[in-house]
Amino acid sequence: MALAPERPRIYEGSRIPSPIPSVLELSNALRSSQDVLTVNFGPNHPSTHGVLRLVVDLHGEEVVGLAAVVGYLHTGFEKNMEQKSWWKAITYAPRIDYVSFQNNELVFVLAVEKLLQIDVPPRATWMRMLLAELNRIHSHLVWLGTAALELGAISMFWYCFRERDRILDLFELVAGFRMHTRYFQVGGLAEDIPPGFFDECAKFVELMPHAIDDYESLVDRNQIWLERTQGIGLLSRADAIALGQSGPVLRGSGVDWDLRRAQPYLAYDQVDFRVPVYQEGDVYARYRVRMEEMRESVRIVDQALRRLPGGAWIADDRKVVLPPREELHTSMESLIHHFKIVTEGFSVPEGEVYVTVESPRGELGCYVVSDGGPRPWRVKFRAPSFVALEATATCMRQALVADLIAIVGSLDTVMGEVDR
Amino acid sequence: MPGLVEVLEAHGETTLVVDTPRLLEAAGHLRDELGFDFLSDIAATDYLGWDSKDVSGYIGTPAGRDLNKPSTQGHQRLPRPKARRFSLSYHLLGMREGAPRVRLQAWVDDGEPVQSLVSVWPTADWHEREAWDLMGIRFDGHPNHRRILMDDDWEGHPLRKDYPIGGEPVRFSGEE
Amino acid sequence: MAIEEGKRLRDYGLQTERLLWPEKGPGVFEQEVAAIEQAVGLTTLAKAVAWAQTKSMWPDTFGLACCAIEMMSIVSSRYDIARFGMEAFRSSPRQADLLIVSGRVVHKMAAPLRQVYDQMLEPKWVIAMGACASSGGMFNNYTTLQGVDKIVAVDVHVPGCPPRPEALMEGIVRLHEKVVAGVPPAYEIRGVSS
Repeated sequence: MALAPERPRIYEGSRIPSPIPSVLELSNALRSSQDVLTVNFGPNHPSTHGVLRLVVDLHGEEVVGLAAVVGYLHTGFEKNMEQKSWWKAITYAPRIDYVSFQNNELVFVLAVEKLLQIDVPPRATWMRMLLAELNRIHSHLVWLGTAALELGAISMFWYCFRERDRILDLFELVAGFRMHTRYFQVGGLAEDIPPGFFDECAKFVELMPHAIDDYESLVDRNQIWLERTQGIGLLSRADAIALGQSGPVLRGSGVDWDLRRAQPYLAYDQVDFRVPVYQEGDVYARYRVRMEEMRESVRIVDQALRRLPGGAWIADDRKVVLPPREELHTSMESLIHHFKIVTEGFSVPEGEVYVTVESPRGELGCYVVSDGGPRPWRVKFRAPSFVALEATATCMRQALVADLIAIVGSLDTVMGEVDR
Repeated sequence: MPGLVEVLEAHGETTLVVDTPRLLEAAGHLRDELGFDFLSDIAATDYLGWDSKDVSGYIGTPAGRDLNKPSTQGHQRLPRPKARRFSLSYHLLGMREGAPRVRLQAWVDDGEPVQSLVSVWPTADWHEREAWDLMGIRFDGHPNHRRILMDDDWEGHPLRKDYPIGGEPVRFSGEE
Repeated sequence: MAIEEGKRLRDYGLQTERLLWPEKGPGVFEQEVAAIEQAVGLTTLAKAVAWAQTKSMWPDTFGLACCAIEMMSIVSSRYDIARFGMEAFRSSPRQADLLIVSGRVVHKMAAPLRQVYDQMLEPKWVIAMGACASSGGMFNNYTTLQGVDKIVAVDVHVPGCPPRPEALMEGIVRLHEKVVAGVPPAYEIRGVSS
């Protein structure tokens, strides 16, 4: 096997382990030592956020070797999606990143719409943005509840899940189901927005900033929290970019990059929001980034609620979108379109696209290849958690066992999207 | 740019197809000269059976699409045949104003190895392992060339088109 | 004690939908239980023990995928599983009574799942939560186990994708009723080695 020619290191002072960037290996001094214990943080562990396996070498309390083993949740999404029609494949998408489920639906639907070159009405666009931001708050709440639980701030779990249940109530109001709503359709939304939603969402927007104040008052200046999160899990700016990090991990390392502002999709260029960036690159910085992102998301939801346009909720292209049911009684064409779409499914022109959105974990991408037929040829999801786990080895330098938990928690990985 | 074979523009995206043996050079050029410092994704696609008649997309007559049939819905040409079986698409991003994105694409056949880009973008590590695991594309120079998602002793590469979907036939209670 | 002639499970206190349909004859489940040869005698002491088992049946932290998020929400204050004494999710399977398999199980995870199940001490119960754990769900493919009852003995299957927290609680309540009624845990019925 030919070896790649030597290239200079990414930059001087890079802490990325070498030769394997994602595996921290024992130093030569310790390799023969009797004091190194290999511990398996197995796939079933209360603190590994799902089925992540870490094989850790410990020298006393210090982590001197680390390798992550994934694949314990590899469900074969991509191959299943190739067997189903475009419409049915949307159902698979939210279960990939099951904590911020609508972002996956969004990215897949955006990719299909890009291939179809179909125009989505503004009402659907704004509503999608609103739901995506609610999903961001939901995801950060689940993250905060579980991360705090692992560090010992157990009561945060109940506080965060209280608000999380309110968000799921909103999803249920809109789409009929708490999680995996399958509300985004190619061309817009599956159905119009129920009228009661706006009042309920306004109430939620009212109370959420106070809830975030509650959370911050519990942990933000808590000495134990500060000692357990500050200075832990350092990831420098250049390392973060070299390792492909995005989202709060990247912004916690001082890189001011957010896809909602850099390549605005949906209606993000028409709303006003701040992107929090912290320079330290430690667990505390990522925590602060997520807390402030929650506040900014509430602001975006508020603006979207007030400015949501009326009109159609789905595109008018009958080759792709079901016609309204009233028309089926009178128009023969509508009947044929309905029949064709429901039985055979619509066809998407040949081509390949790569669409990215800013999911709560970072850059979520969807690469879709179509052969011109009613089923996808290839769907690949770029999962931010998959890439975040590559950074565990770099962040884990000079970490203790207790810090390991904090660092893995701060990377906010969801194993569903790591393994797909 | 070293090794460039063609430039394709579609749907607002630029695809740079490079000659596979010069992939590493091209990647270095893109990172250093053109400033694409962020590797977003490596997507491997298997095009086996792309233009054959019995895969999805061929409705109508056994000879292929019939231009006069309404079900063709205006998409009336056969897909462009691909020269080789696998395509490796490297999705790159430049983290600056305007967020320029580009897709670096290399084509390989079954069994043909590709140079590993771990020395250019360290994040390619796990993406290449996944491409090996699910598609069976070898990467020369990859420091940890092992399966990542499937079991270590799994045989076959599941996402290839000649690998069956697997699973079980569903039994319905009325059949008994 | 097998089910006596002419008596049905609800005569032993098991509340099911059959209560709403009194004319319905014994179903497959009841006939199955009646065919069990090893009878578990339910004396007063055993009844008390069964009652106590249901009042603090501690689950194991076996959250795999989306269903795990809904399983976490039964611990939250709105759905509050602490009313049933079950909020203490044990991390060690040796201390757990109940294994709620929440999420899709893939072949790579099947071995750790079986290992965790084996490490649990009798009596132990398993709830297959969600469509993926019950039958493979929407993932009928090369990598997903088509139902976790292929490798462990399941007492209650809870449908849904993911099931609402109330649905999971219904499954837990049904399990409690099963235990109180004297139905042995599934590994004794199914003959799966435990």
